[in-house]
Amino acid sequence: MVKRQVPAPGHVELWVHSPVLAGATPGQFAHVVTQGTLRRPISFSRLDVDTGNAAMLFQVVGVGTRWLANQEMGAVLDILGPLGRGFPVPDARRPWCLVGGGVGIPPLFAAASQWTSAARMTPTAILGARTESLVLLEEEFRQLGHVVWITTDDGSRGMKGTVIGPLARWLAKNPQGQVYACGPTAMLRAVGAISGQRDDVWMALEQRMGCGVGACLACVVLGNGPEGPDYRRVCTEGPVFSGEELIFP
Amino acid sequence: MNLAVSLPRGLKLKNPIIAASGTFGFGPEYASFVDMSVLGGISVKGLSPDPWPGNPPPRVWETPMGILNSIGLQNHGVEVFCQQDLPFLRETDTRVVANIIGHTVDEYRQVAARLSREPGIDALEVNISCPNIKEGGMSFGQNPDQAAQVMAAVRFETDLPVMVKISPNTTYPVEIAEAVEDAGADMISAINTLVGMAIDVKHRRPALGGVTGGLSGPAIKPIALRIVYEVAQTVKIPVVGMGGISSTMDVVEFLMAGAAAVMVGTITFQYPRRMQEIVAELPEVITELGFDCLQDVVGSALPGRSNASSMMEAEYE
Repeated sequence: MVKRQVPAPGHVELWVHSPVLAGATPGQFAHVVTQGTLRRPISFSRLDVDTGNAAMLFQVVGVGTRWLANQEMGAVLDILGPLGRGFPVPDARRPWCLVGGGVGIPPLFAAASQWTSAARMTPTAILGARTESLVLLEEEFRQLGHVVWITTDDGSRGMKGTVIGPLARWLAKNPQGQVYACGPTAMLRAVGAISGQRDDVWMALEQRMGCGVGACLACVVLGNGPEGPDYRRVCTEGPVFSGEELIFP
Repeated sequence: MNLAVSLPRGLKLKNPIIAASGTFGFGPEYASFVDMSVLGGISVKGLSPDPWPGNPPPRVWETPMGILNSIGLQNHGVEVFCQQDLPFLRETDTRVVANIIGHTVDEYRQVAARLSREPGIDALEVNISCPNIKEGGMSFGQNPDQAAQVMAAVRFETDLPVMVKISPNTTYPVEIAEAVEDAGADMISAINTLVGMAIDVKHRRPALGGVTGGLSGPAIKPIALRIVYEVAQTVKIPVVGMGGISSTMDVVEFLMAGAAAVMVGTITFQYPRRMQEIVAELPEVITELGFDCLQDVVGSALPGRSNASSMMEAEYE
């Protein structure tokens, strides 16, 4: 571990030096040993192949993430990765927007960092949080030159409400726009509903995970299979799925 | 030191470490992380005649020194396994144990028959003990007569070495072991997971989509050791021990309790290379404990075998 920051209350961003992880595709994840019996899947917030550093921004929610948040600088972490299927690169000729809720924002920032220079139209980032202090990476998105829309549940910053309102307006102006989303399940369900679950709407999912490599079949979500609903592994077929692949229960 | 293990019907393992069913996929999943040729064997995820969808998520939950799972034996069926996964396993220099499951005696029989026609399968493990299946599964493992029926049906179809995986979720696991021994089992594997549950306090509901699940990991090791110790004294066939093994010393405990070989599972999720490390460490650990060969360790803590005088000496160390 080479750097540590607290970007918001209860949230920690750790930088690790690992050229292998720094070469990850945004949307892929690291499977990190903590104190518990299961690793913790955490997505990348920054990927820098020049320095060989990768960063992970996570919320402290339980014993595992608390242990990880308390690691000292210079600590050696046991990380399996990069794992899973990341975001596909958008078609730079068509508009795209990023929709992030809470701790779903960081992997979208890793993607934005790699894609923005090629975009022909200014990309839009719609960032949602419960309250002002929990809006993650806003300044970083502005520095990339994105149009940034903020929503908070309590209206303490930006628009009061969820990311779905601004997304609906963006989709009305950009009906063929590409959407990349990450956040709580309820948010992703709503993103799928208003975008028509198209094949160029991409969502990064979370699920309780075991092995992380496709062996245990724990981290499944319901997919839209050729012969009816089927289960797909977030660690292997995901964590990024297209809207048309998914069924939200 | 030679770690090779000879088991019934000519089954020979290069060492006693086998990847436990359900934790190592159908073979290829861990290939880029683990040198599979180092392992004594791999027990693949349970195979049914037709694909099983499995249980609704969440399917896994961390508990103190363990994990709960409610996968529900999701698998793509024995036919897809034979076509898609078995070619890879045939090229891998380790023994392949096919774990078989069913809702009915006849389903177990069908899977055994299908697998017996395939080269590359070295043994069968009959799972009569999965706690995540409402019908079949564990219910066969709680009744000696039903367990024997399943084993007899499998025996009718195959000359392969067959082990029966018994359940800890029954008052007398030994009775089940005896019943399947009489019905033709070549080995007993023990134990499967223990039924348990957790509550997701934030959402005020059971943590697992399947409500209850199977507990595995270090938390269950003392229970597993007790059952292995009891079964090893009762049956004449070899016991393959498992339940919470995380270290080389854990392996030694199971061997001393009477296991001829062991399976390692939950720890692989955290440390995929732990089985390799155990294989590498085992000779030195056994030598330091005063044994000349692996075979001498097996059952060395069983009644009549344990060495009282060395326990006396230990007090003066």
